[in-house]
Amino acid sequence: MTPAVEPNALEAMTEFLYLAPVGLMTFALDGRIRLANPLVAQLLIPLAPGGDLSDAYTALAPLVPDLARRVRGFAATSGIIIDHERCPIAMGARQAVLSVTVHRIHGGMNLGMLEDVSRQVEQDRQLFEDRQRFQAIFDNVRDYAIFTVDPQGKIDEWNQTLLRFGGWRAEDVLGRTLDIFLPAEVRGTAAPDTLLANARQAGSVEIEGWRIRRDGSRLWTNTVVTALPDVSGAVRGFVVVSRDMTQRKRIEDELRRLATTDPLTGAFNRRHGQTLLADTFGDDGDRRRQPGLLMLDIDHFKAINDRHGHETGDTALRAAVEACRAVLGDAGSVVRWGGEEFLIILPDATEAAATAERLRAAVGDLRIAAGEDSIGITVSIGVAADHGDGPHGVVRRADAALYSAKRGGRNRVVIAPDVTAVV
Amino acid sequence: MLPAFSDADILEWLEAAAPEDFDHLAFGVIGLAADFHVVAYSKAEAAVSGLTPARVIGRHFFASVAPCTNNYMVAQRFELEPELDVVIDYVFTLRMAPTPVRLRLLKRPTARHMYLLVEPRPT
Repeated sequence: MTPAVEPNALEAMTEFLYLAPVGLMTFALDGRIRLANPLVAQLLIPLAPGGDLSDAYTALAPLVPDLARRVRGFAATSGIIIDHERCPIAMGARQAVLSVTVHRIHGGMNLGMLEDVSRQVEQDRQLFEDRQRFQAIFDNVRDYAIFTVDPQGKIDEWNQTLLRFGGWRAEDVLGRTLDIFLPAEVRGTAAPDTLLANARQAGSVEIEGWRIRRDGSRLWTNTVVTALPDVSGAVRGFVVVSRDMTQRKRIEDELRRLATTDPLTGAFNRRHGQTLLADTFGDDGDRRRQPGLLMLDIDHFKAINDRHGHETGDTALRAAVEACRAVLGDAGSVVRWGGEEFLIILPDATEAAATAERLRAAVGDLRIAAGEDSIGITVSIGVAADHGDGPHGVVRRADAALYSAKRGGRNRVVIAPDVTAVV
Repeated sequence: MLPAFSDADILEWLEAAAPEDFDHLAFGVIGLAADFHVVAYSKAEAAVSGLTPARVIGRHFFASVAPCTNNYMVAQRFELEPELDVVIDYVFTLRMAPTPVRLRLLKRPTARHMYLLVEPRPT
């Protein structure tokens, strides 16, 4: 007994096929189309207006020109003849891509499926271009390491930038924490965890500091860590971008050195000396110890220049500063205050007089090359202590003491009168 | 006197006629509102398509009734052109059988509705 076909059921099935968003058709081996749903007409009529959709090979020719050969040449009774082949085609003014699939279903009957995949193709193209762009960045970036860590802070991605940046191979970093990039003395602190916690909270953090390469060598880096959200907004990991700033730091350090030192002698220059005086003897100076000041002047310097030449004079200045530094160590700063005049700033004036005497003797022992001869030089030194009257006060007193030393015969140390109580 | 498929004044007749009158025509008629929803679907059209008028009236014609026309040749012309009176060769897939047809696309700014007329096309 054959089941009666409900009129409504048939209408529903008809509508089901009418509304299918892919084109479905069956055709015989000779190309004759048996059944085709509306999407087939929607997609194929514009490719051959005026056509009649009676022959599959004709109708699909704009997409698969050799369809007849491939279908007729397919010997098996069932199977895939054409598998989702993407065919670019112009649909009116629009450039589209249609996907064509043909199956042998039985006997000589074939089933064709057509789908407009223009949007997916465009998305694929965008993804491909994005990936290419990232690849180009990774391949060409020289001074940056760019990688990701998982929410627990473990490195979960390796690329060329890490190799170029610090010699790190995949096996060195994958699954490890940011600890591995820290110099030994800083490792084991909570620093990476804190960094990630801050990035999680603020979205992004920036930090500068020393890191190491795989071979242990150091580099000064600027690192930005950015939290990556997933679709629900939860943090799914972090991107780390680390930039090698060693060169810049070197340049900065060098610039600082150049700005604060006297090029001839290596002592601090007068401008930086004024800063040091303000720091030491000013209102905000360290009052735990009483600082002191020595003013030092090379004796008969003009005569040395006149008789032996400026080169000898320069040599004398350099040698004097070297000798002072050797005596002082970390105990004081040498400032070139004038042509042949120097300040020695002592954070602790306790040994000021003894130090002054040692300096006088050290300079006195020097032999300065002067052409084929060598000469000796001497210095006069004035010593003053801080009395709370600021830099000008102490400089004035040291200067007065120095003047006394010159008047008293040179090559001697004079201590400002009110220093004796301290020293 | 019923109009023929190619009559010049057909739009006036369609606008003045009652929907039941469409059922007497020798060709299929589909009437569309300004939003392209079906307002009239003649019996002749229903007979060949296998869809009853009750099922299709109120639906978006191009998206939900006859997707075969949802392209630049038919749907987009109705969407973009302010006025239409053209006849084009087309193929409907009525009950999944490719059926060559002639379509007349009718649209006028002053008319209440837009119309598609459908008649078979000899190949």
